[in-house]
Amino acid sequence: MTASTNRVEISLEINGRTITQSVPVRMHAADFLRQTLGLTGTHIGCEQGVCGMCTISVDDRVVKSCLLLAVQLDGARVRTVEALSDGDRLSLLQEAFKRHHALQCGFCTPGFLAVAKSLEAWGRVLTRAEIRDEISGVLCRCTGYEGIVRAIEDYLGAVHGMSAQTEVPA
Amino acid sequence: MNFQVTAGVDMPADTDRAIIGRSVPRKEDDRLLRGGGLFADDVTLAHQLEMAVARCPFPHARILRVDTTAAEALPGVVQVLDGRRVAELSEPLTVLRPVPGAPSLPYYALARDRATHEGQPVVSVVAVTRAIAEDALELIEIEYEPIPHVTDMTATLEPDAPVLHPDVLESNLMASNVDRAGEPEAQRDAAHAVLADRFVVNRVAPLPMETRGIVVSWRSGARALDVRSSTQVPHLVRKQLAESLRLDESSIRVVASDVGGAYGLKLGAFPEDILACLHAMLLERPVKWIEDRMEYFRASTHGREAFHDMMIAADKDGRITSIMNEYTTDIGGWNSPFGSSQLSSVTFTGPYRVADAQVKRNVVLTNKTPVGAYRGYGQPEVNFAREVLLDRLARRLNKSPLEMRRLNMLRPEDLPWTTPSRAIYDNGDYLRTLEMAATAVDYERHWAASRKPRGDGRIVGIGLSSFVERTGYASARFLANRGSQFGAHESVTLRVNRSGGVDLYTGVSTFGQGSETAFAQICAQVLGIDYDFVRVHAGDTGASPLNTGAFASRTLIAAAGALKEAAEAIRDKVLVIAAMALEAETDALEIRDMAVCLKADQGRSISFKDIFNRAITGQGIPEGIAPGLEATAHFEPRSASFSFGTAAAVVAVDPATGDFEIERFVMVHDCGVPVNPLLVEGQVRGALVQGLGAALDEELRYDPETGQLMNGSMMDYFAPMASDVPPIELLHTEVPSDVTPFGVRGVGEVGTIPPAAALTNAVCDALVDFGVEISQMPLTPERIWRAIRAGAAS
Repeated sequence: MTASTNRVEISLEINGRTITQSVPVRMHAADFLRQTLGLTGTHIGCEQGVCGMCTISVDDRVVKSCLLLAVQLDGARVRTVEALSDGDRLSLLQEAFKRHHALQCGFCTPGFLAVAKSLEAWGRVLTRAEIRDEISGVLCRCTGYEGIVRAIEDYLGAVHGMSAQTEVPA
Repeated sequence: MNFQVTAGVDMPADTDRAIIGRSVPRKEDDRLLRGGGLFADDVTLAHQLEMAVARCPFPHARILRVDTTAAEALPGVVQVLDGRRVAELSEPLTVLRPVPGAPSLPYYALARDRATHEGQPVVSVVAVTRAIAEDALELIEIEYEPIPHVTDMTATLEPDAPVLHPDVLESNLMASNVDRAGEPEAQRDAAHAVLADRFVVNRVAPLPMETRGIVVSWRSGARALDVRSSTQVPHLVRKQLAESLRLDESSIRVVASDVGGAYGLKLGAFPEDILACLHAMLLERPVKWIEDRMEYFRASTHGREAFHDMMIAADKDGRITSIMNEYTTDIGGWNSPFGSSQLSSVTFTGPYRVADAQVKRNVVLTNKTPVGAYRGYGQPEVNFAREVLLDRLARRLNKSPLEMRRLNMLRPEDLPWTTPSRAIYDNGDYLRTLEMAATAVDYERHWAASRKPRGDGRIVGIGLSSFVERTGYASARFLANRGSQFGAHESVTLRVNRSGGVDLYTGVSTFGQGSETAFAQICAQVLGIDYDFVRVHAGDTGASPLNTGAFASRTLIAAAGALKEAAEAIRDKVLVIAAMALEAETDALEIRDMAVCLKADQGRSISFKDIFNRAITGQGIPEGIAPGLEATAHFEPRSASFSFGTAAAVVAVDPATGDFEIERFVMVHDCGVPVNPLLVEGQVRGALVQGLGAALDEELRYDPETGQLMNGSMMDYFAPMASDVPPIELLHTEVPSDVTPFGVRGVGEVGTIPPAAALTNAVCDALVDFGVEISQMPLTPERIWRAIRAGAAS
């Protein structure tokens, strides 16, 4: 193969910035974010679409970026963890994660933040069971998930202007 | 929050500003929440190359021929190494925690003539990109001759089993060790009731979300090897690299910034670390290797696999008179830095008063991926065997398992207690955790009721599981007797800066345990400085004093003492300088609001920042006092501390299918004084879910015919997802340890210990009328269904 056939130029909007970039056709989107754009907040854990470390938002849908090729991002609107905070100030969602100890090693955290952010679109506070189902595409080996569920419940309550019902395990 | 921390800890008088015991926000969080962590793969160096590794696809094979010509010719490939070359360039990998009595098994980073497990490295390639390096692997021709293999732990001790290391061993038994006290055989023979069984513990994957990884550069002129590694033990990796690479330690700096989970897996140097360093040194170009998940499952280390032949004898009242446990752990194809679990021998008698007991450990080799340390390190395994057999014995004696535990449990006045394997349990109140767990699930009422199916056809069962956990090490002397290549201490350096803050340097790397936060809390408490003004610099051998590292639930037990000593040294000097500046005696001063002031007149004060600047410049300090303001302290606790507790599981089993729901899981535990309750809860919950995963679903399975790992991918290995986790209720008692600073006990591993036995006991309790007995993990519906059928048949 020659250089002219194994690279393609793509344009996309990434975290509010429009860029044009030549990418190898076989590069997956997570490698593109990390290696080409230097957005190392998106992590890679299995490259098989299971662990969810690479979860990002593409056109307002959460996707596993290791299962996308970079060329599939052409024309897309991409949001990664780096776009979440407001300058040095953590967003409400990030604050909720911090308050509820929803992270330990932090490797999975960008994936959970992406999924959590997408749950705003439900327009209401999800039940804990719903939250657990919705975040099951991202694995966390440190926390046992309880802090993550609490943080998301708390955050959705704040976003939708209602306090989350405190659900104590039976 | 269903987590309570009781008050009543000895704190300095100024309790409104006490920071030990408070759930302050973590130091680590902001960067990690913003995608600003610095994990191994986040570091990319100029002119960096990437490495890929060709691995043996067979469990046991001779390597007849390696031809790398085509790979070397691929554009972008820079270097290829094979086993012969690596053996010339380096020494075998060393072991940090040897098995007492075992010979060393020389293990080079690449196999030369023979590979002993699927996944063992055979050839390494570096290229300008990982993709090209992997393309090159496809072009390497390796001619293997598969030879007889053995993956089964029982078969490996048969006389006809192929011996893995015939140069140093006559069989695949690597070593045996016995610990005993009293007359366990005589007590057994005289006992009213004796029960014994074999308990089989599954091989599992520690499974950190960040795989292993290394980025290394070498400047030959400076003789400086700069290593970024995803490790729990930077200083120990430095030691091992020096030994294998024939370098002085002073030529090596190892830095672990953020580590994406470790759980015991990342304890020491692995073959790929040696390979990346060799390539970097030969090429004088930086080399990166990031393990992919398929490599992870075959070439890192696994955990746990063991069987325990456990015997418990009791008198007619149910008093345990003897425990004998012979267990066998699988170490896999070679001896990893920490090897297979060793702590079953320490806690095999659990929280019970048993004077006559013996434990024998056998370590065997098989043609499987090496086993290394994994959270719990033998304690979950032996707890499963003992607690399940104890319930069975109770039923045999027509006693309730609760009563059986009550009767045998060590009382506070029995402690300290020297176990038959000569561990010394420090103070505690084990019985209280048992009673709290029993009350929480209303055990007495349940026990008295019949096991009738509910309206939904399910039968409810309750299982208990009590435990002690050794946290920390007894002493450096204890470790020396076992050949361990590390100490029992921790160390810290505190150094003030001109901005009025304190820089805290520790060799303990950050992998989620919250050590940056807890260390800063202790420093702030002792020194009287604001928590926000303590900055922790973790995991850099170039900056931190030599230490041991974060494993064995030992970090805080040892580090708390070092932090206390160093902070006190800083505080003392701060007061001396302030006394001069304020023209007062030191005992007339107090620390308040980032300043030192007169007790009698708080208006007269000097700020920390001013004091720090005086010390740093040497200007404005008393005569005869040396400039500078920093302190390094090393601390070894006088003994290990033992955490303890009881778990109770409530399950509802479908007797037709063996399917079951965990309706409640209660964990009562004591980790002494919690420095940060939020961190404690996180550690306990996280470890519990790992323990539940191993108890319910997780199992690495090998095909005995082909010797291949059958489920070595994220798709096929079932780690718990959020939707799999049952409700968990935590209850907490707080008995300050009398052998550690601040009364802390370790907490990192405790959750892994009780789940398997609690759940198994609950299922067996539900199905008591079916004669169900289960002695093997994981506890799958299929296994339960088979046990129901076996019970019906008998």
